[in-house]
Amino acid sequence: MTYLRNVFFTAILALGFSSLTTTASACSLTVANMNWASANLMAEVDKFILENGFGCEVELVEGATMPTFTSMAEKGEPDVAPEFWANAALVPLQAAEGEGTIVTLNKAPITGLGEGWWIPPATLEAHPELTTAEAILARPDLFPHPEDPSKGAFVGCPAGWGCQLINAQQYIGWDMEAKGWLLVDPGSAAGLDGSMAKAVERGENWFGYYWSPTSLIGKYGMVPVDMGDWGGDDNWHNCVVKPEQDCGDPKATSWIKSEVYTIASANFTEQAGQDGIFYLRSRTWPGPVMNSMLVYMAENQAEGADAAIEFLQSHEDVWKDWVGSDMRIKIKNAL
Amino acid sequence: MSFFSEIPTMGRESLRDFKKGIDLNFKEFSRSYGDGIEGFFDPLLMFLVWLEKLLVNSPWPLVILVLAGLAWIGSRNWKLVAGTIVCFMLIGYFGMWKDTMSTIAIISVATLVCISIGIPLGILMSRSRKLEAGITPILDVMQTVPSFVYLIPIIMLLGIGKVPGLIAVCIYAVPPIVRLTNLGIREVDKECLEAVDSFGATSWQRLTRVQMPLALPTIFAGVNQTIMMALAMVVIASMIGVRGLGVPVLRAVSNQYLALGMLNGLAIVALAIIFDRVSQQYGKRLQKHREGRNL
Repeated sequence: MTYLRNVFFTAILALGFSSLTTTASACSLTVANMNWASANLMAEVDKFILENGFGCEVELVEGATMPTFTSMAEKGEPDVAPEFWANAALVPLQAAEGEGTIVTLNKAPITGLGEGWWIPPATLEAHPELTTAEAILARPDLFPHPEDPSKGAFVGCPAGWGCQLINAQQYIGWDMEAKGWLLVDPGSAAGLDGSMAKAVERGENWFGYYWSPTSLIGKYGMVPVDMGDWGGDDNWHNCVVKPEQDCGDPKATSWIKSEVYTIASANFTEQAGQDGIFYLRSRTWPGPVMNSMLVYMAENQAEGADAAIEFLQSHEDVWKDWVGSDMRIKIKNAL
Repeated sequence: MSFFSEIPTMGRESLRDFKKGIDLNFKEFSRSYGDGIEGFFDPLLMFLVWLEKLLVNSPWPLVILVLAGLAWIGSRNWKLVAGTIVCFMLIGYFGMWKDTMSTIAIISVATLVCISIGIPLGILMSRSRKLEAGITPILDVMQTVPSFVYLIPIIMLLGIGKVPGLIAVCIYAVPPIVRLTNLGIREVDKECLEAVDSFGATSWQRLTRVQMPLALPTIFAGVNQTIMMALAMVVIASMIGVRGLGVPVLRAVSNQYLALGMLNGLAIVALAIIFDRVSQQYGKRLQKHREGRNL
């Protein structure tokens, strides 16, 4: 019995020692690792560059948009949110910037991103005239609803997401019911992804809501639909984003521009200095590169960390201008 | 030392290839057979759409009358019938009529499908020990595997909508009826069967005239369980595009709409209680012949 107990305690001690590691570094930063693929990849790339180029100690902090923002504004932590979808928090973000707790360093960390309506490339190839929403809405027969083939199926946004209200209002605004369309609620992210993936894999037509950068858009080369002119701020903010009972007569409009920023805490500007600010300012991912990396992640079921190394190895032309030449060498050596 | 600190794995590369292989094979399968499988389920889809339209478009007093009538046939209990009427009036009053009708449509069809698959399967299981040993673990898997896991292949194969939702519901709801049919038939008295055999009954007569009637109360408990489990899947089914009470519940969950969630949740509960009480009462009536028996 005592023997067993000894073994047990030795094992516990061994566990304790193995977890002891000590490092000391001049600067120590935390980076928000949001729970979707593109943000995860950006966080891992930032981590690698800040660690190996700047010599900082970087810790990733898991998070979602609003909790991360609140924590940054109130506690100054994490120090960097690489891909922050700011539409949800424009007013509090301005307030935090006024207090100096948060700085917006990059207003376009990824180009060509945004929400809207999409169709598969095969559909466009077969019907080259379907480039605009107007043209697609005239052809519900090409996108038959499985439960009522006389109507067209427009796949909206899952119940409960902010975009569900917007798609429902756009459905009214574009007068889609009269044009012979049914709004399909895919129920969940998996439902939305699955309905698109299934249709494209089978070569069927599909018309619905999605957003970029995402691996699915990159993987299937989905084509954004030209939704025409912007229907005005008032229409969007006071009608399209509201439930139907609050505003019953929305006008058809293109999607609002998604404000995605890289934001950093005051601590980041102190610790990483001008070089760090320069890095985040110039760090702009071209949309197609981001999409191709997301496809890489999805196809290889790769984690952000692996994809970050793959990106740094294969896309040096993209990241070489983000840092000074001495850091570029340090980073290349670390790969 | 590394043996103790790291559990042996098959290696990153090969694990990745393994997962990729499965995914690719399934996609290949879906591409070549998906349309055929979809076509196979078309009659079911048409029936579902027809039933839902019938329930939604019929005048509400008629629907309530029919439901109350069914409750009476099942339970012969005035209190239950009155409760049914009140519940459905309230559901309508709080604006959940259409969603409730959609839910009833899918639950009824799911129950029918489960019964028509489950009872024959249960009978087969009761006739062979080997079959029982083979099917039982499959039923265990069906009941315990997280539904999200089988939702992924179902969506790839059939897309989103009623049929994939129905299949997801059935996977979860069919095990109890299979198990209880098997159990019920196996529980039939040996003496009874000996007597039947000595009268020279064929095995079909033995099954339909003796085993099934005697097992009916147990089988009915299985039906009751199946209905309950189907109702429990309403919300999950809504995650792959099935209309019904699950949709507002999902909306309530992600927006923290307390009242919306409570109302629709309670509507599901009301349906569950009505279905449960009616089918239980019916099962009890079937068991009446047992009451006088001395054991």
